[in-house]
Amino acid sequence: MDVILAFSCNPQEQPLCIPDSILELFELPVLFGSVNRTMVYIILAALVVVAALYFAYRKPRVVPTKFGLAVESMVDFVRNDIALGVIGPGGEKYGPYLLSLFMFILVGNFFGLTPFINFPIGSRMAIPGFLALVTYVIFVFVGFKKQGLAYLGETLWPPGVPVALRPLIGVIELVSIFIVRPFSLAVRLFANLVAGHTMLALLLGSGVYFVWTAANGDISFLKGFVVGPLWFVFGMAIFLLEILVLTLQAYIFTLLSAVYIESSLNPAH
Amino acid sequence: MDALMILAQEGAGLTGNVGSGLAAIGYGLGAIGPGIGVGIVAGNAVQAMARQPEVAGMLRTNMFIGMALSEALALIGFVVFFLAG
Repeated sequence: MDVILAFSCNPQEQPLCIPDSILELFELPVLFGSVNRTMVYIILAALVVVAALYFAYRKPRVVPTKFGLAVESMVDFVRNDIALGVIGPGGEKYGPYLLSLFMFILVGNFFGLTPFINFPIGSRMAIPGFLALVTYVIFVFVGFKKQGLAYLGETLWPPGVPVALRPLIGVIELVSIFIVRPFSLAVRLFANLVAGHTMLALLLGSGVYFVWTAANGDISFLKGFVVGPLWFVFGMAIFLLEILVLTLQAYIFTLLSAVYIESSLNPAH
Repeated sequence: MDALMILAQEGAGLTGNVGSGLAAIGYGLGAIGPGIGVGIVAGNAVQAMARQPEVAGMLRTNMFIGMALSEALALIGFVVFFLAG
């Protein structure tokens, strides 16, 4: 777990390793020449998703296995609750996209809690950014395809807006729909993963730090071996909370994608 | 003002850069409003679901839209924190 992080630098000087540059979070992975950790885990996440779906449906049977049932309920949830529930009739078409989005984000998020991987792949801005970009392209494309050029008019000036207010509303809607929407979609996932993982690393790491310094005799035995495990237990409680948060973020990303597609399909309500 | 600068210096920690301490304080202040907003949205949605459980599905969707809108401000604050820090 993140405890490994606590030992990767000298705990005498700094409790946790501060990264050389925080800009690492915003860099695009190198595509050719060198393969980095992020790329390996992206491909691993995609393979896990494909494998889960393949092995669940390889032999369809009347009474599914436990694993088949788990995957089936996930597919059913995305199709019925998100695709059909939010987009309404005609939503099946977007089911596969939403399902792959949901499962990829879910598996990618849980990489952050998997021992020896410890890397939520959404914690590099490029990945949630790209996923949000795909959703953005889809909802703009669907809007133009369904309504033609009227999509812009309907979106920027919802019916019933007084003429005098139109320029103001137009600017606000332009910014909120075409800029803030994809941006906040990407940053929400990114921020939750980075903040959650940092918090986990700090709590578990400070537990290790207390025990470590007490074992070295820098602080009193009692202090180190009572406070350290308490931090560790607190970190474990946050670990459980993180499971909830990661699942919820995958759900919210998918749900908001569906909501944005729906708002392009049926305006004016 | 002095207290703020001391706090910022303390918050800067090992890097010793007062700007990053101030950025952290600014993000903390910026998160107050969205926090209250998300709380109001979620609280009222739960209340509505308790009153009328049969429309819970629709309410949940609208709750997430409202949360997304108010949360956007906190997210912008998070990005500004990175830019300034």
